[in-house]
Amino acid sequence: MAEEQKKEERKRRRHATEAAGKIGPMVKATIGGTVKAREEGKSIAYAFIVCSYDEIIRAMDIVPVWTENYAGICGAKRDATRFLERAESLNFSRSLCTYALCGLGFDQWREELGEMPPDAPWGGQAKPDFMLSSGQILCDPRNKWYQAVQQYMPDVPIYNVGLPWPLYEDDIDVADVEDYYIKYIVEELRGLIKFLERQTGRKMDWDRLSELVDLGERTWNLIWETYELRRAVPTPMGTGDAMNTMVPMVFMLGTQEGYDFFLELNKELKDKIARKEGVVKDEKYRLLWGGGLPSWFALTDFNYFNSKGAVFPVETTYRMIEPIYRLNIPDTNDPIERLAWRWIRYWTYWYDKARKRPGSEPDVERLIQYIEDYQIDGIVMHEAFSCRTWHLGLIWQLNQLKKIYKPIPVLRLGSNRQKKGEKRELPSLILESDIVDISSYSEVDTRNRIDAFIETLEQTKKNNR
Amino acid sequence: MTQYFAGIDIGSTMTKVVIMDSGIIASNIGPTGPEQRRLANKVMEKALKEVDLAFEAITYVVATGYGRINVPFADKQITEISCHAKGVANFFPEAKTIIEVGGQDCKGIKINNGKPVDFVMNDKCAAGTGRFLEIIADALGIKIKEMGEIGLQGNNPAKISNICTVFAEQEVVARLAEGVPLNDLVAGILESLANRISRMVNRLHVAEEVVVTGGGAKNVGLVKALSDKLGYALAVPPEPLLTGAVGAALLGKDIADKDLQDGVSLQTKERSLKEIKIF
Repeated sequence: MAEEQKKEERKRRRHATEAAGKIGPMVKATIGGTVKAREEGKSIAYAFIVCSYDEIIRAMDIVPVWTENYAGICGAKRDATRFLERAESLNFSRSLCTYALCGLGFDQWREELGEMPPDAPWGGQAKPDFMLSSGQILCDPRNKWYQAVQQYMPDVPIYNVGLPWPLYEDDIDVADVEDYYIKYIVEELRGLIKFLERQTGRKMDWDRLSELVDLGERTWNLIWETYELRRAVPTPMGTGDAMNTMVPMVFMLGTQEGYDFFLELNKELKDKIARKEGVVKDEKYRLLWGGGLPSWFALTDFNYFNSKGAVFPVETTYRMIEPIYRLNIPDTNDPIERLAWRWIRYWTYWYDKARKRPGSEPDVERLIQYIEDYQIDGIVMHEAFSCRTWHLGLIWQLNQLKKIYKPIPVLRLGSNRQKKGEKRELPSLILESDIVDISSYSEVDTRNRIDAFIETLEQTKKNNR
Repeated sequence: MTQYFAGIDIGSTMTKVVIMDSGIIASNIGPTGPEQRRLANKVMEKALKEVDLAFEAITYVVATGYGRINVPFADKQITEISCHAKGVANFFPEAKTIIEVGGQDCKGIKINNGKPVDFVMNDKCAAGTGRFLEIIADALGIKIKEMGEIGLQGNNPAKISNICTVFAEQEVVARLAEGVPLNDLVAGILESLANRISRMVNRLHVAEEVVVTGGGAKNVGLVKALSDKLGYALAVPPEPLLTGAVGAALLGKDIADKDLQDGVSLQTKERSLKEIKIF
């Protein structure tokens, strides 16, 4: 046992910031809190992140169980396999979203036993009173997962919130259509509130909701300002830590605790910058985590990058905020309308920029902005086999980026043996594995790829000198 | 005084050693099977013996390949991506794309002036690697060395639909039982492998000159199928198994030359030609 504990200790990821180190206990307490809340008879909802209903459920004192988060924890603790296998034995394909599979396996087991599965990671996730699925167009399991899990909890109702946004077309101005979307989303959120009022037997406190929406907006601004501090050279915080600090961003929005966390992180980063204290002592390569959820069981790979002098000052994953003051949200006192505008303006934030660069797209424009703002040398992405949404989008984004953005001057040897100047794209690395399913991962192969990528970066830098 | 440089490429299937001064003076290739993987030092010893050279006479040793870590007789570890790039450029200075079909993985490397600028790897699945050919050759009862020539004689390549090596093996046996001629079956297998490899390599936007290395490059049928699929003539080095080791030795020489040029003494490790203890 002592030996096992030692091994676990060695595998633990090193944090660059003290704030990130506090996240584990926070999450553990939150999950334990769901079990306690169940015992205390509080209303519990299964919920998905980034669904614009954070402040609504907080205002109604509903305890959220973030089911994606719990699957990620099972993955991080390398204890997801038994839940995935259980889902597989229930006839779900192993190639479906492994967050959903892990959740399905866990919930079916818990319902079958009438108690938590044995040694459930961090005590297990509590059974909900209702489930808030989402027709958010980002990923379909957010809708289908809870439908599927209802087989094992037929008494638990679902409310599905439709949260669309206009897809990018370079000849369509969002301003022409967004009113329709706003009207629809507002209706959906009002419908959600009616559902929650019915389920909880409590009325919405609209003043409190307004306060929490205001707190949520201030939190967005604070997060943006805090993360922008990472532009510093050397960067004081990397993506490895951001995979922790995303917890108060997406699981605690609309809470004072979430806001205070970022106040503390902001101060810590400023102190580190003043001391010129970076993630690594000798920062050689600045990388952009250009997308894909991480392999939760292999976050130490970020430390491996660090050991090669590579840092990640910025990531697109879990940076689900923009500064509110740049979103130009119309004046309104209706908190639901504010949530709807924040939703639409966030998802369409990069549209105007994309329209100005021929061949660009909003997601690509965001990559370019980060590359320039954060002085990026290379891009790393993670293709999680079970996540269709990210997987499809990442390859496309990278190909589009390579077509339109070539910032590196190089000399090429032509067929006449003469060297000619050209520009080429940033080096990129695509890691292949999964978010939860560890059977898809090989540490040796992954690190071999990282080694080769670092050598490529080194060569690119040498060529540039 | 002549300086000697050694490159050792410990791949998943074969271990390759090259010793160079201004050119290649010795080389040796031995298996990296489960029993032999500790014996990479023996492959080095054989290469040294070829030119009657003591290990201590080697100025710098670079190890590459999957087994490069923990080699007690190497000064530096460099990935096979960089080593193949350097090694291929030694034989084909204008090469832009390398396709390396190894025993248990397959890589595509985009290079510029002998330096890697991008790469893709298949290290997850036996399909698309030499292992796929080994298994199919076993199933067909032929030698892997014969596959290329047999495949070239197939005029009507059989369609092999399974990507998975295990299922492809079953499919091949079934097609054989159906009476599909061996030549056509092997041609179909090589075409299937070429399709798999080209799908991966095409992610790099293949540019000429394209060079094929690794054990797969010794299979004339596979090289032809790949060439047909990609639409490019493919160049093959004189000994396609050795390019990684050649590159490793050359990169070692570059390090020594640069240190000399900078007036810095070459940093070497305490090397000993011992067995690899941890793999």
